[in-house]
Amino acid sequence: MEFEMTKPVPEVQPWSRKFWEGTREGKLLIQYCRDCKAKIFYPRKVCPECWSDNLDWMEASGKAKIFTFTTAYGMVEPRFMDELPYTIAYVDLDEGIRMMTRIVECEPEEIRIGMEVEVVFYDREDFKLPYFRPVKK
Amino acid sequence: MSRGKIAIIGIGEVPTRIMPERTRWDILYDICIQAVRDSGLDKNDIEGVIAVSPQAQPRLTSEISFGKIPEELGLKGCRDSVVCNAGGASTSNCLRMAEQWIESGIAKAVLIPHVTVHSDIPLPEVVNFFARAGVDLQWEYPFGSTYNIIMGLMANRYMHQSGCTPEEMASVVTALRSWSSRDPNSLFYGKEVPSVEKVLGSDLLNTPLHKRESNVLADGGAAMVVVSAKDAKKMKKPAAYKLGESVRYFSACPMLRRHEEVGAAFQDTAKEAMAEAGISKDDIDLWNIYLAYPLAHPMMAEALGVAPPGQGAKYFAEGRMSFGGDIAWSTIGDAPGRGHTGSGVSAACYVETARQLMGKAGERQVKDCKYVYQNTSGGSGFNIIASIWGREL
Repeated sequence: MEFEMTKPVPEVQPWSRKFWEGTREGKLLIQYCRDCKAKIFYPRKVCPECWSDNLDWMEASGKAKIFTFTTAYGMVEPRFMDELPYTIAYVDLDEGIRMMTRIVECEPEEIRIGMEVEVVFYDREDFKLPYFRPVKK
Repeated sequence: MSRGKIAIIGIGEVPTRIMPERTRWDILYDICIQAVRDSGLDKNDIEGVIAVSPQAQPRLTSEISFGKIPEELGLKGCRDSVVCNAGGASTSNCLRMAEQWIESGIAKAVLIPHVTVHSDIPLPEVVNFFARAGVDLQWEYPFGSTYNIIMGLMANRYMHQSGCTPEEMASVVTALRSWSSRDPNSLFYGKEVPSVEKVLGSDLLNTPLHKRESNVLADGGAAMVVVSAKDAKKMKKPAAYKLGESVRYFSACPMLRRHEEVGAAFQDTAKEAMAEAGISKDDIDLWNIYLAYPLAHPMMAEALGVAPPGQGAKYFAEGRMSFGGDIAWSTIGDAPGRGHTGSGVSAACYVETARQLMGKAGERQVKDCKYVYQNTSGGSGFNIIASIWGREL
């Protein structure tokens, strides 16, 4: 019985490459529609609001608030066991986007719904995943 | 519109257990034969087979997708066979397809079977399947998400908003297991009902979810025979008539589901299904809820107006949804009470809905059960399908 122990990387689509290129440069990019002005997350081939392909990217401030979170202590895939405990959250970016992320650089007990956090990029193979850490007051 | 078009007239089920010694086909034979015999029809009266897609079992899926069930069972009158997959919402879609086949004249009687055997699937495959199912492989999975984590995210937000306590949340398990301890088809039949202390004393998997608030994967199978409502009436046998249905799609990606929209959709679909059935909330005798995790039940109770806002978990803690309480709720104990058979939990729920309306639920029989609310959802909750079933047209 062999478990896959390699950490998974994002399964990238042609239209999301730019997002991951951005994270490698320390930028959190948000796709937006030049026609209907919708901010789009996750990135799509066409705007999900108006089906325009006139899409572009803007850099997000990287500031967000925690909408909800959960700290894992067990029963995760074996490939993530070495990282326990870890906290997964949905965060609301100042730009109105909600994304899944990890909350890092703090003790799990300190994490609260509504907490202000900021983006920080963590290596995963040749990717940089956007994690968030509490904003230092 | 679904009112009064089809009825379930036969049910079959094997007890949910961990039974690697039984093959999938062994179980399929038993449930299908039981359901057809229960319907009073001859095997050759079955003109269509619409199978619930078995999750994480690609070989069986291929076999039954390519028409093996009618051949294996010798259903000589069968005119077509298909598999239907929408995760936990598969059974609802099988029933819809049966309605279409019956309405359009493809089949007069349709067999809807489901089987899942988890226990002989290599553990790494099961773990990987449930880690990747229902989450986005680019935007969620790489962060280390799982079904348990999706549930933890939802439950923490609910607890933050409602102010309910871990003890109240844990009491949902006690309530669900109070039903399943009396269900011969449950993995926990005859077993001790865990107290709130015992639930909270089990390992913390991810906040606020404890091991006993999660699911035990198990093996099982269930089947139904469906005919037109008109034919069911003529047969003068106990039957479950589909009286109304409503549905909303949310999103495949859990992070994109707006919690308030999900709550509103639970409410709206219930209202629409009841309106189609011509009944109101007060007419419902059994809320047969399928959510897979106990922590989602208080939210559902509030959305359906069964409990006031913020009081859902308290209602469970007061024992109102437990066996013997004043609100009949999930009388097989949903997945935590039944044992998790993948998409089969929804099949088991529909069979229970029919069983209650047919008056065959034994110790768990809801007194004078006339109307049942039955919901399903697929994946990690990409949709909500609400339906109303009645014992008469």
